[in-house]
Amino acid sequence: MKQYILEAKNISKTFGNVKALEDVNFYLRKGKIHGLLGENGAGKSSLMNILSGIYQPEKGSIFINDVKQKNLDPESASELGIGMVHQEFRLIESFSIEDNLTLSKSNIYQNNFKEAYEKYSEIFSLSVKPEKTISQLSVGEKQKIEIMKLIFNDSKIMLLDEPTAVLTPQETDQLRISLGTLSEEDEKTIVLISHKLKEIREFTEKVFVMKNGKMVAEELSTKDVTDDNLIELMMGNIQKSIIDKSNTPGDTKLSVKSLEYVDKVNNFKILDNINLEIKAGEIIGIAGVSGNGQVELANIISGIEVDYSGKILINNKDVSRRGVRSRKKLNLSYIPENRLGVGLAPGVSVLDNSIVRDYFKTRLGPHLSRSKTENYLESLINKFSIKAPNSKAEISTLSGGNMQKLLMGRELISNPEVIIASQPTRGLDVNAVEAIHNLLVEQRDKGSAILMISEDLDELFKLSNRIHVMFEGKIVKSLNIDDADINNVGLAMAGIIE
Amino acid sequence: MNNLKLFKRQTVNELSTFYSFLIGFLIAIFIGSIILLIQDKSPIDTFSLMLRLSVGSINSLSASLNKAIPLILAGLGISIINSVKLWNIGAEGQIFLGAIAVNFIYINTQINSPSIHIFVLLVAGFVGGSLCILIPAITKVVFGVNEIITTLLTNYIVFGVTIFLINGPWKDPKSLNFPAAAYVGEEVFLPTIIGKLSFGFLICILFTILAHYLKNKSVFGFEMRIAGGSAMTAVYAGINAKQKAFIAMLIGGGFAGLAGAIELLSQTHRVSTGISQGFGYTAIIVAAITGMRPLGIFLVGSLFGALSIGGSVIQTIGVSAYIADIIQASTLFGALIIQFFFTYQIKKVEND
Repeated sequence: MKQYILEAKNISKTFGNVKALEDVNFYLRKGKIHGLLGENGAGKSSLMNILSGIYQPEKGSIFINDVKQKNLDPESASELGIGMVHQEFRLIESFSIEDNLTLSKSNIYQNNFKEAYEKYSEIFSLSVKPEKTISQLSVGEKQKIEIMKLIFNDSKIMLLDEPTAVLTPQETDQLRISLGTLSEEDEKTIVLISHKLKEIREFTEKVFVMKNGKMVAEELSTKDVTDDNLIELMMGNIQKSIIDKSNTPGDTKLSVKSLEYVDKVNNFKILDNINLEIKAGEIIGIAGVSGNGQVELANIISGIEVDYSGKILINNKDVSRRGVRSRKKLNLSYIPENRLGVGLAPGVSVLDNSIVRDYFKTRLGPHLSRSKTENYLESLINKFSIKAPNSKAEISTLSGGNMQKLLMGRELISNPEVIIASQPTRGLDVNAVEAIHNLLVEQRDKGSAILMISEDLDELFKLSNRIHVMFEGKIVKSLNIDDADINNVGLAMAGIIE
Repeated sequence: MNNLKLFKRQTVNELSTFYSFLIGFLIAIFIGSIILLIQDKSPIDTFSLMLRLSVGSINSLSASLNKAIPLILAGLGISIINSVKLWNIGAEGQIFLGAIAVNFIYINTQINSPSIHIFVLLVAGFVGGSLCILIPAITKVVFGVNEIITTLLTNYIVFGVTIFLINGPWKDPKSLNFPAAAYVGEEVFLPTIIGKLSFGFLICILFTILAHYLKNKSVFGFEMRIAGGSAMTAVYAGINAKQKAFIAMLIGGGFAGLAGAIELLSQTHRVSTGISQGFGYTAIIVAAITGMRPLGIFLVGSLFGALSIGGSVIQTIGVSAYIADIIQASTLFGALIIQFFFTYQIKKVEND
């Protein structure tokens, strides 16, 4: 019975204390396109990495063509015809297309490269010469080369990790046609990971859904399953808020007017006509899968990104052309999504990192007094119960939760009027999440206007007074918390707007 | 299967750099002893002679400290530039261009008051050092060109310019065909304080304090650390990371240029290839051993000054002066290895 070309049974994998995969089953039929759906951190990439031999599972077995595979590593997986396109490209930027395609020892078109390249560039409607170096290509073209590399390496099972995340709608459409051709004519078995329901529906025949490391739906027929069904499977039940939201908001503290931001290199509109208004004492949640313009929005409001059109007003004062520092002086605080690297400088002491926001104010500078800064850090440590070995310790010796508390504390201690908190609890344990949530609510009650960007629907529903959903650079849905539910927010996040 | 793995220690002893220097120095003495034994020389005799002739009298001590001045100043410059996590390999060239700038200003100006004249010449040396690093600083900040390469290359260019000047336009007709510029007048010689100890040593102390303040106590030092730690954090904090890097490089180059000026005005009294005997390179070792700490640079620079004086005098008993170089280099290796064990812990881990 050769029903499946690949079968993975009861796969389990843990990283440290985190169960990334728990008794996961996965089946692929030859020549079909399969969808794999799930939130960030659901375990999709871990499963793909196991199938391509990059990780070894602790438990479970993998059968390819009914033959049990022991100790699958990247080399043997590639010999068995399993290839993967990762989210971050693995091309050699300074090499030509031809060199990249023929690099692997398993490549099968060494002798007749020209004909093969012609054939597949037609399928992918790619019109560049193979002598061109990768660095000269657009993102969409690089994506095509990545997929072509799998074909040239004779991969029969192609695992594509969010290939459409970097593509324009037209390119996505083109990719759908190309993949269709590959599955029909070359009998390629394809797995497509995506967040976008529309794509899963258009691209695939069968769909699998993962949540929290478990496979919650196996081999559903895409034709028969509804969007609502998929959203519920993917996101599960979400508890509505237990936090009191009866306080009445005050004056408008932050307004964003018809904001547009274009990525000049790829001529791609990242933010499109964004309008926001946040009042004192309210938390506005921005929901959305990452990569839909949230980072850029936060960077523009905080003053880091300056090349945009539109208006930013803090306390009715136009700050559109002002820099980071003058916005800070108007008491804006920004907790960036990238904790270590943007919010905190790695390789630098806890003490130095603790004064990044306020050092230029006279109470710490201009002469940087050791005792003043030590006292300042001391007050942060006490007020926000941060655990740090000592003030001279390098920042990355702190745990994730303590780093975030230091960052939050630094940004909140001067009681800011406007707070932008981007993914404030990502990667933190339950206790740290609770502490961070309490800090935000406390700050809201003190009258701060808070913009919270998050992918975590639990968090958004718990804290927000109002939720905006971002998709492909636009706010596609705005809902009061009482009207928001898992379906209307979840569908909008996946790009489905009635 | 058991595996050894490295773990970064949560806390590192504050004096770890000092301890690793001490242990590194002992290792270097040990290595030096072995080399001496191979040559059938007694290590104890050799080292005690070195000690006596480098710090045993006012005269020898002042000679040692005079030698230390360029090492300390250039080392301080390197440590300031390293605050933004950049490496200055060009201190040697900056020393030479500092001296060239001094001679250029000396030839082309007329100042009657000797003290003002000396002051102007010292400033000229500082500016000359800054000018020397200007192009690497611009290419770093504007185009992102690796500063290690560009500062290293400027050494060769400046050395070439020096050779050209002392063989061509500045060649002293009274030098009996020895390639060197004419001596500067005695009125601009730096005075001595005690014995032969140059006034430059006081300047050196002053600049050590300045560098210490700049790096550790000033807002600018903090901004340099953040800019060096993460360019993105700098942008986030409203710090112009490129501007900080640019200024740090010019200041650091200036420190080395000042070393060249002091060397000319107190030791050689003229521009020649003898302005620096590799001080700019030894300064890198000094700065690295101390983990870029100005006060440490002052101490280790002084020690290294004594070592090279000791090294040059033991030639009289038939021991090569290179023994001093070997000790200096081994100290660095030893200190770096010991520092590694202060920073990391090696643990056995069970492999799955």
